Amino acid sequence: MKVSVVSRSGREVVKGGIELKDSAKVADLQEAIHAKTKKYYPARQRLTLPAQPGKSGKPVVLSQKASLSEYCEKGSGSLTVVFKDLGPQVYYSTLFFWEYVGPLIIYPIFYYLPVYKYFGYEGERVIHPVQTYAMYYFCFHYFKRIMETFFVHRFSHATSPVSNVFRNCAYYWTFGAYIAYYCNHPLYTPVSDLQMKIGFGIGVVCQIANFYCHILLRNLRSPTGSGGYQIPRGFLFNIVTCANYTTEIYQWLGFNIATQTVAGYVFLAVAAAIMTNWALGKHSRLRKLFDGKDGQPKYPRRWVILPPFL
Amino acid sequence: MAAVKRAYLAVYNWAVFFGWAQVLYFAVDALLRSGHEGVYAAVERPLQLAQTAAVLEILHGLVGLVRSPVSATLPQIGSRLFVTWGILWSFPETRTHILVSSLVISWSITEIIRYSFFGTKELFGSAPSSLLWLRYSSFLVMYPTGISSEVGLIYIALQFIKASEKYCIRMPNKWNYSFDYFYASILVLLVYVPGSPHMY
Repeated sequence: MKVSVVSRSGREVVKGGIELKDSAKVADLQEAIHAKTKKYYPARQRLTLPAQPGKSGKPVVLSQKASLSEYCEKGSGSLTVVFKDLGPQVYYSTLFFWEYVGPLIIYPIFYYLPVYKYFGYEGERVIHPVQTYAMYYFCFHYFKRIMETFFVHRFSHATSPVSNVFRNCAYYWTFGAYIAYYCNHPLYTPVSDLQMKIGFGIGVVCQIANFYCHILLRNLRSPTGSGGYQIPRGFLFNIVTCANYTTEIYQWLGFNIATQTVAGYVFLAVAAAIMTNWALGKHSRLRKLFDGKDGQPKYPRRWVILPPFL
Repeated sequence: MAAVKRAYLAVYNWAVFFGWAQVLYFAVDALLRSGHEGVYAAVERPLQLAQTAAVLEILHGLVGLVRSPVSATLPQIGSRLFVTWGILWSFPETRTHILVSSLVISWSITEIIRYSFFGTKELFGSAPSSLLWLRYSSFLVMYPTGISSEVGLIYIALQFIKASEKYCIRMPNKWNYSFDYFYASILVLLVYVPGSPHMY
């Protein structure tokens, strides 16, 4: 079959189009485009069907595993796809590693090295037990995240634009330093022993719960699958769509109860806002997909992320 | 309902227009009468009123009364309020500087044109293209002069900010927090660098 590849402005991306076997898959088309254009490797390609005149709504994205014939105009044996360059890509695992390794290194710098001298605080520094536990807790958290990135998570789309590396690292590294500065400060005021224990207790329990949520999510996807959605079930997912975000938020809350810094709470608020944004999107996508029609199960009534609010 | 919305916006825009017209009048009057040192004292009240009223515009954007995205109005109003209250009102030593005159005149001319544009649109349904032209062409001069005056005044205020402990929170405290107005102001100055072309 003949596939013509055009940009969103209508210009031909591959002159003369591409000839492929009728049984070819989308992945084969991507390889062919890469061969013809050299710089557009498959992860950079976003291929969609042309928008139908009169029909609105989001364009249909070609799924990598699917056969091209599924997308062909009925009986024509030819296909036009719209190409968009997503820009240089990095693997999600790469992105996540660099985001998380920052706080993992930065926090201990404030704990172990005499940095406060440069902020004008000379002299001996007394380290409270809570500050030591906080350092272990914080570092473990980011270590856990890195481990999950490489061994637990299954990504639907394996890559992310390179620009996200700078943006995301700025976010994590800046907040990491911001929190580390106050938690390890020579003039740090610890909370009561009881409050510290409650805080870290909540944190540890929620981190374990969060890990379990990640395992459950992983098992929704097969290792060779190209992603796609399933209704999450089991454990907290029965009550809350994004239980993984919920446990993550409560885990940070635990940390803040134990360490009590405005910096930590600001981070909690921002992180919660970002995750809530994601959760609303995920929840609405799942409800739209699992609408109870055409043999699809109906998505059960659940909280989105933070009962009893949302 | 749409009529109430238009009436409210018409009243709002013309009221703030009047405030800025006052600012310009008093500023020029003081400039001619006593020189640039007296400009702030002459405009303080209408300036603070007109500028602070602009906070309503954030609300208007949030509730959907106007189309402007909150992400555009917030930094704009933020910087204006920072200079009006955080610099000029908080540090009187800055008030006699000549940059206050350029600031106040740049702001008031821009706002007079802007508010009369929107006020006319709400009242008559549309605004004359000459007013639209005036808005965009005056901006070419007023935006740089306004921004330079803002940056200049913040820079001048830095020495006074450092010397006073105003708005600073020091450790130790039970929330383990600190805030240094001097460094925060420097940060604001730095944001002007990428921020100004972005906001233009």
